[in-house]
Amino acid sequence: MAVLNNKKSKVSDEVPTSSMADIAFLLLIFFLVTTVFPKDKGLAIVLPEESETVEVNQKNILHIVIQPSGVVEVRRGESQQVQTVSPREIEGIWRQDVASNPNLIAGVKTHPDTPYKFMIDVLDALQTAGADKISLQLLEG
Amino acid sequence: MAIKQGGFSRKSKTSDEIPSSSLADIAFLLLIFFMVTTVFRTDSERDIIWPQAEATEKIDEKKKNILNIWVERNGSIFMNDQPYTIEQVSEVVGPLYAQSDRRLVISIRGDREVPYMTMDQLQKELVSAGVVRVVFATELEQRMTRQRR
Repeated sequence: MAVLNNKKSKVSDEVPTSSMADIAFLLLIFFLVTTVFPKDKGLAIVLPEESETVEVNQKNILHIVIQPSGVVEVRRGESQQVQTVSPREIEGIWRQDVASNPNLIAGVKTHPDTPYKFMIDVLDALQTAGADKISLQLLEG
Repeated sequence: MAIKQGGFSRKSKTSDEIPSSSLADIAFLLLIFFMVTTVFRTDSERDIIWPQAEATEKIDEKKKNILNIWVERNGSIFMNDQPYTIEQVSEVVGPLYAQSDRRLVISIRGDREVPYMTMDQLQKELVSAGVVRVVFATELEQRMTRQRR
C-alpha cells in the first residue's frame, strides 16, 4: 500500500486564480448595468414670457380658487355661482367642461397662505385630465 | 561540436501560459475606479417633504441643463448648495439661462407646506429672468396610496 503514497498527485496544489478575473468582471458589469441615475421628475409647465398678456374671453375661463384649508372653489366664466369641491374633483369637472368648450382655460388662483401641496393637487388633477392651458396666479384681495 | 542534449529541446522553466492571475487585480481596480469616480449629483438633497402627484412625468432634458431650486419649509431658498434670498434668484438664474442657450429647465423642489406666496414670488422671479420651462418636482403618487389617504 506504500505505492499509493509515492504517487505524485496530478491535482495542482495552488488556489485557482484564473477564474477570479471572471468574477471581478461579472461584478463590474453588474454594477454598470444596475446603476440607475435618479431621474428628475415632476409636473412640467411653461411660464409665460415677460410682458406677454393675452386677453381672454371671460366665458372661456374656468376660475379655480384654492383656499388655505385646501377647499377649492370653482366658478365658471361670467356666472357668479360658486361650487365648492375637493382638489380631486377638479379632474372630472375639467373633463366635463372642456368637452363643451375646447377653448377652456384653467385660471388657478391660490391664496397666499395656501400650502404648496394643495396647489400641486389641483395642478395634478388638471394635468391628469389633459389640460394644457393653465394659468397660475396669486389670489389678490 | 554537437551540442549535448540539444539546446532547443531543453525544457524552459518559464510557464508557457499567459499569466492570468493579475487579470483579477486589473478588473478590481477598474471596479473601484468606477465606484469612486461616479458622481451622482452636484448639489446635495435638502430636507424637504415632497409633494405627490399622479401626473408626475420624467423631465426630458440632460442633467446639466436642469437647475434645482430648493424651497425649504421655512421659505429659505437654495441653489447649488448655496442659500439665496428670493430677490437674488433672477440675478443668478438669468446668466445661467443665457449660458445654456435658453435650454435650461428649472426644477422647483418645494416642501409641501411652503405657503404659495413664496412659490408665486419665485415664479415671478423666473419669469423676469426669462425662463420658460419650469417643472414642479414631485413624487409619483400611486393610486393605491391615494385611495388610502
